[in-house]
Amino acid sequence: MALIETRGMTKVFRTPLKGPGLAGSVKHLFTRRFTDRVAVANVDLTIEAGEAVAYVGPNGAGKSTTIKMLTGILVPTSGEVHANGVVPHKQRIQNARNIGVVFGQRTQLWWDIPVRESLALLKEIHRIPQDRYEATLQSFNELLELGELLPVIGRRLSLGQRMRADLAAALLHDPKILYLDEPTIGLDISVKDRVRAFIKQLIAERGTTVMLTTHDLGDIEDICRRIVIIDEGRIIYDGDLQAVKDTFARERSMHFQLHHPPADPAAIAARVPGVKLVAGEKPEQLGVHFDRFEVSAADVVAAVMTEADVIDFHIDEPAIEDVIRKVYAGQLDLSAAEA
Amino acid sequence: MRRAYVMHAKLGLQQMLAYRAGFFLGLLGNLFFLLSMFYLWRVLLKNPRFTHALGWDWSQMKAYLLIGFITGILVSTFTDYTMANRIRTGDVALDLARPIDYQKARFSETLGVALFEFCTAVSVCAIVVAVFGGMQPPTLQAGLLFTVSLLLVVPLKFGIVYMSGLVCFWTTNYLGVSWSRQAIVNIMSGALVPIVLFPVWLQGVANVLPFQAIVWTPARIYLGTIHGTEAVMWLAIEAAWGVGLWILARLMWKVAVRKLVIQGG
Amino acid sequence: MVVASRIGRPIVLYARCLAVQIKAVLEYQADFWILMMASVLMNLVGFVFLWTIFSKIPDVDGWTFWQVVVIYALVFVAEGVGSLFFEGTWNLAFLVNRGELDFMLLRPVSPISQVMNCAVGINGLGNLLLGGTLIGLSLSHLHIHWTLGRVALALLLLVSAIATKIGLNLATNASAFWIQSPFSGFAFSMHQLGDLARYPITIYASAVQALITVAVPFAFISFFPAAAVFSKNGWRLGGVELPLRWFGLATPLVAVYCCWMGVFLFRRGLRRYESAGN
Repeated sequence: MALIETRGMTKVFRTPLKGPGLAGSVKHLFTRRFTDRVAVANVDLTIEAGEAVAYVGPNGAGKSTTIKMLTGILVPTSGEVHANGVVPHKQRIQNARNIGVVFGQRTQLWWDIPVRESLALLKEIHRIPQDRYEATLQSFNELLELGELLPVIGRRLSLGQRMRADLAAALLHDPKILYLDEPTIGLDISVKDRVRAFIKQLIAERGTTVMLTTHDLGDIEDICRRIVIIDEGRIIYDGDLQAVKDTFARERSMHFQLHHPPADPAAIAARVPGVKLVAGEKPEQLGVHFDRFEVSAADVVAAVMTEADVIDFHIDEPAIEDVIRKVYAGQLDLSAAEA
Repeated sequence: MRRAYVMHAKLGLQQMLAYRAGFFLGLLGNLFFLLSMFYLWRVLLKNPRFTHALGWDWSQMKAYLLIGFITGILVSTFTDYTMANRIRTGDVALDLARPIDYQKARFSETLGVALFEFCTAVSVCAIVVAVFGGMQPPTLQAGLLFTVSLLLVVPLKFGIVYMSGLVCFWTTNYLGVSWSRQAIVNIMSGALVPIVLFPVWLQGVANVLPFQAIVWTPARIYLGTIHGTEAVMWLAIEAAWGVGLWILARLMWKVAVRKLVIQGG
Repeated sequence: MVVASRIGRPIVLYARCLAVQIKAVLEYQADFWILMMASVLMNLVGFVFLWTIFSKIPDVDGWTFWQVVVIYALVFVAEGVGSLFFEGTWNLAFLVNRGELDFMLLRPVSPISQVMNCAVGINGLGNLLLGGTLIGLSLSHLHIHWTLGRVALALLLLVSAIATKIGLNLATNASAFWIQSPFSGFAFSMHQLGDLARYPITIYASAVQALITVAVPFAFISFFPAAAVFSKNGWRLGGVELPLRWFGLATPLVAVYCCWMGVFLFRRGLRRYESAGN
């Protein structure tokens, strides 16, 4: 059996349908009318040990709900879940020994005590022997630089510091599976890089299985080889990350800042066939869209520089969200990538 | 200027309506208390010693307990609870910046809330009377004086509640302050035991404190144990306490604001 | 080993909470004293009330002053233990409403104990001290013939009474899984219903007696255990003569039932738990 396996996993949230105010509440006691919202529908997911899976989709697609069912926080309305041989919501305590969870928006540290004491408390809760505890902290220290965080009170940590401490807290007991829900949200670039490097190291050295939800293409590209796309509670794609990118994330945009408005835009287009020119907000700005498999970025830069006086430029990679958005709009056919 | 205070009264009423769930749960607590008192006194008043000591019987005791219930609901915890919260979070600085008098604004709010509290308490009383059987109505004169006394309870209780809210400038523990206040009011107003049953020295203490005017004065007027000039004299004492506490609260506010300004809250 | 850890870790968690609380107490000493004083004052007022009444008559429904004080004080003691060691129960509504329960479900310790143990109501200390003092005072006035058996019985009933209160607290607070509000209003109003059990319940109408005996058995926190220790009998409920003392002896069973009910409702509620953001 695979490490994580779900069959027909479904979660329906039931909201009472009641009128406003006290009268509405009282009336509801007798009518008992509800609306059902299907957050996750019939999800079959199989994850092998050692895999790193990105789980993506727009807000409200059911990402967090899935993670919460896999970790045993939520009980599925129907279907089966197994993680490392246990049913998470039924055998919570055994399950807790196998998993580590990090929520980007929230912290499991106690906010009123120093990080050191939070970690020591988790050591007691997980019954980690002293020597192993010290060794683990030591091994985390290089990338997470815990030393400077240990004496800080939980609520005084900055977002980046908190994430580093939370990662350590989630991994103290060396879990087989690590769930990360938006781990890099709101972090600055240098912390993001450090977090990603840490997770990569974890996968490489400990063989930890990682499942991560994110909006950041960088996270996915750095860490994962497999991507699962979910929309309206259903899995709409499950497969290789590179295939998705090659198929859908082909388009690049370059944005140029020029000294003067380009004299003859058509001449640029003529030098690199297949590109699309877009006027910027000001006449001195110019956008160029192109398919990276047909035109190289270098060619585009060369073309623009020949025809105009360039001050500055940058490239936009398409965010995975754009890809996903296109999928919903029916502009992309996912079967093309799976083939 | 006056319109601003009318607005505050309306605002208080609206807030009350918005948090009515909490209010009704609190009311339930008062109701359970009333229930236990009803049964307890019903048993106790079978003993002639109590009828003798109190000077009234079970049917009059029912009126006494209901008056305690109504004045217990009136101006209960809304004012000090909201004040304590705003002081703790520092939002009170915004209230200070408004061009209206803080104390008068809180009093206006309290009046709006009291209207709601009063209506609810009276409705509940009607139900209790229906269940436990009627009681004697007061004479016309007693009824009028009782109404005045009940109205005077509002500024009096406001003074107490408002000052206990101001205590939160010195401590973050509103809960402890509120509990202490409730305990003192409960015993010294006569809500728990009619003051006449106290040992003589404690009666003396109760009579020189403002709390007795919350239950003991209106109840005695209603039951006719005090009437005529004596009743008017106790009414005057009740009114004087209302004014006295208002002035005391002003002084306390001044000290509190100085502390806020100097220490930054 | 497994058993030891099951009991041990909640204690570790509790000890941490206590340590934090003590630190806070040292930081805000005035607050600590205000809260202690308030809880003692509130309970003292009740005591004065009883004392005033009993200065006029020797007994209420066959219960003497010191016997009623025992009933009264048992409620303080049960509430005191509840506040001091299991105050977290009252945070359940908040934890459920804000989704804070999530992390407790991700740790290898029973979520029930994590919820219940992770807060300390220092005011419980006041209740416990006053309640203990009052019980001690009462017993010294009551001239009970203490045999070894009666001492054992009294201790068993005391523990059961406390467990009944804690079980009821958990059961009523588990309503948070059904009533979505960050405040435990329902549990609190039930707690106040429990105040009815501060007097010999025989003074109430049959329906009220039945309510706090059967539906929400608050009477087993105070009245029934006291009745058993004082060997009371002769309880008429709705025209039926009931063996009062036997009800008292059933307190341990009621305690088990209430605790089981609390755990059952908590687990049932957990199935409906929706975490935050939904």
